[in-house]
Amino acid sequence: MNDAAPRPGARGRLLLTIGLVMLAVLVAVMVLGPSLAPYSPSRTTPDSLAGPTAQHWLGTDSIGRDLLSRLIVGGRSTLLITFASVALALCAGLVLGLASGYLGGRVDLVVMRLLDVIFAFPVFLLAIAVVAALGPTVPNLILTIAIVYTPTLARVVRAPVLSVKRWDHVEAARSVGVREFDIATRHVLPLVVSPIIVQTSLTLANTIFTVTALSFLGLGPPPPDPNWGSMLAEARQFMELAPLTVIGPAIAIVFASLTFIVLANGLREALDVGSR
Amino acid sequence: MGAGTMGRMVLLRLALTIPILLGVSVVAFMLMRALPGDFAQAAAGTTSISAEALDTIRRQLGIDRPLWEQYLAWLSGALVGDLGRSFVTKRPVAADLLPRFLVTAQLTAMAGVIAFVLGSATGLASARLRGSADWLVRGLNSLLLAVPNFVVATLIVLLFGLYFPSVGIFNYTPFMQDPLANLTSLLLPALSLGLTVSVTISENTRAAVLEVSSQDYVMVARAKGLPRRAILLHYLVRNALTPVITVAGLQLAALLGGSILIETIFTIPGMGQYLFDSVTTRDYPAIQAIVLVAATVVLLMNVAVDIAYARVDARVSYE
Repeated sequence: MNDAAPRPGARGRLLLTIGLVMLAVLVAVMVLGPSLAPYSPSRTTPDSLAGPTAQHWLGTDSIGRDLLSRLIVGGRSTLLITFASVALALCAGLVLGLASGYLGGRVDLVVMRLLDVIFAFPVFLLAIAVVAALGPTVPNLILTIAIVYTPTLARVVRAPVLSVKRWDHVEAARSVGVREFDIATRHVLPLVVSPIIVQTSLTLANTIFTVTALSFLGLGPPPPDPNWGSMLAEARQFMELAPLTVIGPAIAIVFASLTFIVLANGLREALDVGSR
Repeated sequence: MGAGTMGRMVLLRLALTIPILLGVSVVAFMLMRALPGDFAQAAAGTTSISAEALDTIRRQLGIDRPLWEQYLAWLSGALVGDLGRSFVTKRPVAADLLPRFLVTAQLTAMAGVIAFVLGSATGLASARLRGSADWLVRGLNSLLLAVPNFVVATLIVLLFGLYFPSVGIFNYTPFMQDPLANLTSLLLPALSLGLTVSVTISENTRAAVLEVSSQDYVMVARAKGLPRRAILLHYLVRNALTPVITVAGLQLAALLGGSILIETIFTIPGMGQYLFDSVTTRDYPAIQAIVLVAATVVLLMNVAVDIAYARVDARVSYE
């Protein structure tokens, strides 16, 4: 082929660098949160639905609260829920995927069939039904999102474990009497981390979608705490009066999911995980 | 593959789906029974109700019986199309659900077609033209993937609502009333729903075309001087379609999930909006029914995909 593609790896490193810088911005917003915000997110002013001004860079909402402050503080809640639920799903996925792939047999059969059941539901639909059943609080949101993303992660863990467990070094470890648990965690797991890392990054992007979409529908963290999804929903309500208020939350949501997509692509090339 | 083996394969594949379907029905049932609070109180729709009245409702709904008996009663009803009665409208859920299901099916199908056309065109262009076209398509794809469908829909509503108010975006028209107006009213919703899915199809098509291009038989075809267009049509397109079909089940699930947001935003009376309304009014029999129906559709789609896959690719068998 006649294309002058850059050296393999260069593209991956570039994407990875951009992704990490974007991630640093998100983490800074999450950690510093309220201290970065120019005003209190709940402070109301008589100046409602104002466009961007020198005092309020992104304008104000329907009861005159500063949108930039709400965006920053809302980012903290959005990102905390995202990271916590993916961490939970990753733990569950690691345990289930490793047990299923490494132990095989009946364990594999039972675990995979149970996960097939969860997998059969459209993710977002299941999330809504579970949140509706449990009630929209922050811990319930984290639990719900962890449940819906566990099957994907467990499958990504299980698939390479199936082949790695047959490799010679595993047999060798077993022959010198290493405990099965140690073989699984020390001799198999390290060889399958690359696809897991890439999938985790993609799951983070999907979770940003799920969290913001749920709160867009009013099923997110209860008000008055700001959240990117509910801010977008509110901006949509007052769109005719203040169209520019849609832009802040929309860009924040896109920026956050783009971060994890860029990271996933960079990681995929840097770690040389076969792109499907 | 002979007709006999094909028939056996279809049966086998369906048989394998039955335990998963049963699991799905258990989850759908338990989800609404695991509620904190009283199911009977939710059915009554009010908290100020006498204990005797609650007991009557419990008996009517059969929730004084053991859980497994309730499940069996619900499941046998569901098998013959009886999905219970809505707490809100007091009508059979199945009667409320069917017309909404058809609306969602149409929206999903239109989104699927848009996603397929956009995705395979950009994927093919990306793989064949390489160079800057490839970078452009992949960059745009990454960006599109990052814009959730409800953000796309909100921006479309903003754009048309503010600058092109003559285009009625909230004018959903039933198909029976005016087929043409119906199609145009669903065009923008279908586009916002299909965009994200087109990215997956585009990336898959690109990967498949690149892989097929390096196969021996394509090299031979090129070496013996077949025109590019003929190679493209004969070998690339057909072979590159297979991985696209494979992800159809997953994509259908994504479309069904997304339809909840899109229907709510564009006020389309489909299954997604029905779910949202039912969640708001705590209409548990309706939620149960929607969850069950959506999961069943996705499972059946996966069976259809596997069968189509086996027909296209002789290497796949289920023995």
